[in-house]
Amino acid sequence: MKPLRFFFFLAVLFSLSSCIEIIDDISLNDDGSGTLKYNINLSASKVKINSILALDSLDGKKVPSREEIQGRIDHFKDVFEKRPGISNVTISSDYNNYMFKLSCDFESVKLLQSAIKKTLQEEVKDDQKLLDENVNWMEWVNNSFVRSVPDFTIKKVSNLSDEEKELLKQGTYISITRFQRDVKEFTNSKAVLAKNKMAVMLKTNVYSLSQNPDLLENTIYLSPLKP
Amino acid sequence: MKTFSVILLMLIAFIEVRAQKSEDYIPLDAVTVFSINNITLLQKVSLDELVKYEFMQELQQELFDGSTSGKTIKESGIDFNQKLNVFYGRNLNFEISGFTFGIKDINELFTVFDDFDKQESSFENIQFYSSYLNHLIIKDNIGVLIRVDPLYSHVNEIADSIWSARGYNYWDRYHYNRYDYDYDYDYDENIEEGYEEFPEEEIEIDEEDDSDIYDVEEQVEEIEDTGDLWHKEEGVDSPNYYDIRDSVYAALSRQNLNQICQELFIDGKNLKKADAALASQLTHNVEGTFYLDNSRNVQKSQPFWYYQNMLPSLHKGLSELYMDNKILGDIRLTNNSLEATMKTNYGDALGSIYKELNDSKFDKKVTKYIHKDNSAYFTYNVDLGKAYEKSYEIIMPLLRDEKSRNVSGTVMAIEFMNAFLNKDAIFDTYKGSVFGTFNGVKKIPIRRVIYSYDEDFNYTETEVFNEEDIPIFTLGFSTERNDLPQIFLDQMANLNSEWQNKGKYWKIDNAILNTIPMYIINKGGLFIMTNDENLAVNNPDGFGADKISRKQIKKTKKSGFVYGEVDWSKAIDHLPTEFMTNDQKEMLDAIRMKSGNMTLTSSKTTINSTEFKLVYDFNDTYDNPGKYVLDLVNSLFVIMK
Repeated sequence: MKPLRFFFFLAVLFSLSSCIEIIDDISLNDDGSGTLKYNINLSASKVKINSILALDSLDGKKVPSREEIQGRIDHFKDVFEKRPGISNVTISSDYNNYMFKLSCDFESVKLLQSAIKKTLQEEVKDDQKLLDENVNWMEWVNNSFVRSVPDFTIKKVSNLSDEEKELLKQGTYISITRFQRDVKEFTNSKAVLAKNKMAVMLKTNVYSLSQNPDLLENTIYLSPLKP
Repeated sequence: MKTFSVILLMLIAFIEVRAQKSEDYIPLDAVTVFSINNITLLQKVSLDELVKYEFMQELQQELFDGSTSGKTIKESGIDFNQKLNVFYGRNLNFEISGFTFGIKDINELFTVFDDFDKQESSFENIQFYSSYLNHLIIKDNIGVLIRVDPLYSHVNEIADSIWSARGYNYWDRYHYNRYDYDYDYDYDENIEEGYEEFPEEEIEIDEEDDSDIYDVEEQVEEIEDTGDLWHKEEGVDSPNYYDIRDSVYAALSRQNLNQICQELFIDGKNLKKADAALASQLTHNVEGTFYLDNSRNVQKSQPFWYYQNMLPSLHKGLSELYMDNKILGDIRLTNNSLEATMKTNYGDALGSIYKELNDSKFDKKVTKYIHKDNSAYFTYNVDLGKAYEKSYEIIMPLLRDEKSRNVSGTVMAIEFMNAFLNKDAIFDTYKGSVFGTFNGVKKIPIRRVIYSYDEDFNYTETEVFNEEDIPIFTLGFSTERNDLPQIFLDQMANLNSEWQNKGKYWKIDNAILNTIPMYIINKGGLFIMTNDENLAVNNPDGFGADKISRKQIKKTKKSGFVYGEVDWSKAIDHLPTEFMTNDQKEMLDAIRMKSGNMTLTSSKTTINSTEFKLVYDFNDTYDNPGKYVLDLVNSLFVIMK
């Protein structure tokens, strides 16, 4: 079916728009343990992704196959689930819509953060400077939870080309933090409180976030634990 | 007085004939040559623009490094009364690229070539300058800028032999400093510094070799005789294979360059002298000419070299088949158009196959499916059945004569298939004639997933459709057996619900990139695939009054086996810039300033040649015609390289 391949090739060359949606959803229990759900939705970009995956290389860089992408995901899972304090790790990959969902339980925010750092260090061996061991972006102290944006994501974005940054402007980043008790107050004026008062949501676009990491910075104060 | 005048004229003519021109220094190994005759046209082209062209890429990296900023070719010391000849060639051992030109003002020339350092010349009356891998060779008022790159396959072969002869095994090569390799180091930027470290002064090769195919063992001996390639360094545990390889590269590069200089400047051998076809082409009174010797391209390809050694009889036969296979062309500039005429020449045997292949009647049915508002379309009419029969007649005797187990196996397989298969059914189904159209961009609904949130931020996934701009293509071929593709379509529909028979057309959901539906029209002697819903659903029998004009049909039909037309003003904005390099995008931006139509036509194919004509109608006036010429030269260079 050579004509069909040719037809695909033409469509590959001429594919257009793209965007990304990320949902970062943490449910925290009163004892500091919890569940992390991290969803990446690329379904709006699937024409472009399929186009790129049909190529061997793009701009001199090898384009990974689906198998290679899945291999990296599986490797990430293998490393991540072996980290202390992390359990029930699942990663689902939907290559029809290009949606990837990570879910895991953690014993404490500190262990979760450490697990993410160590796993990423394993994954990005060629860029160790990217991950600063001493930087924390989540902190659970008594009745407050502090969230910010990991430094490495900002560093990564700053390395992107103007064109790639332009595409990020179309992407959305949603951060949801859920608790087992009511939220008393929070510091970020753009954050929204759920009707049940037990969750806080912050929404921004990925590019703005890269330019201004404070956009997601939020300290959430909870009502005292009932005896 | 009259006698004196005649003698004077004869003397001038003699001097004129004897005077060496830039075209007399095109190396024998050049396979592709572009000569720009009227380089006055280029005076307004800035050097910064010039170096962006693909044909300058090999040379430009150290050549124009800011010294050209704001300058035009007029200020480069080049003689505008001489041709500028761009050449490229590749044989089994090395690749060459460069250009030859006349020099008017050598001081001005070196304000551009300011990175070039004078070298000691081994040749009398020849000045030699180098900048890393580029070399500028000047004889009288002629300059030859040349780069010679030994092929790594050849370099590795020699380096491996030396490595092995010294008692190291294959894996030792990776041991040395393997883990110290700095992947982030910018070797391109710092390559000159690295180059200085190569022990090239230890290698001197003094070889005169007329053949292209060097004996590796002989070459290894010659390189080793001239000096040690690698000395074990104190404190270093392992040898460095890569130093040896780089040394071999440098030695071969110098050897190849010496060989070319010897031919050009001492022996007086050059391509113009060696090939009458090029010499004749260079006399044409046009803006530019081009030359491609495909027979040498074929003969110096690796498989052909293998045949020469392993299958001599087949090699001889194929050499004869490709004899005289050359493409010659002229570039003409008129008031509002640029024309490139190309003549593909070949010998009788190859010509008889092409003649049969291209002797196909134009299928007028395809014109019904080409919309009058298309951005681009092409038709290609060939008869694969007749070409197969002729190829069988010409190529099989060559194979049958070869005494080789592998070839005999191939001969048996072909002979049996030829006897048992129903060739009529095959070639009636796919005759080889195809057509294609690009109909711009249309909005097509694409399914995506969005998240919907409730008041407590619990979310659910919802499928929605949003419209995306998708380029619309149609590709089809002529067939006399619609019944056979129909069997395939029916069976696919039985297996897969995404294949749906809609009566006059078929719809296949998510066929393209797992996202976009494709439509198939299999009727009336045509098999058409398209993502144009309007064509399949509303016009499965053709566009009727909205098809291309009678005048266009006439032009398409009148052309030989190929016809193509592009309306740049419609097509250019839909080109895939996301997948282009920055240089290509800049080139595209330059073209975007232009408009007009580009048309490709061909003549009837004769036993010895086919002519092609590419006409670019600007539809507007221009103030820098040289840019148009360079754009075309560059396009042809990229295609022919």
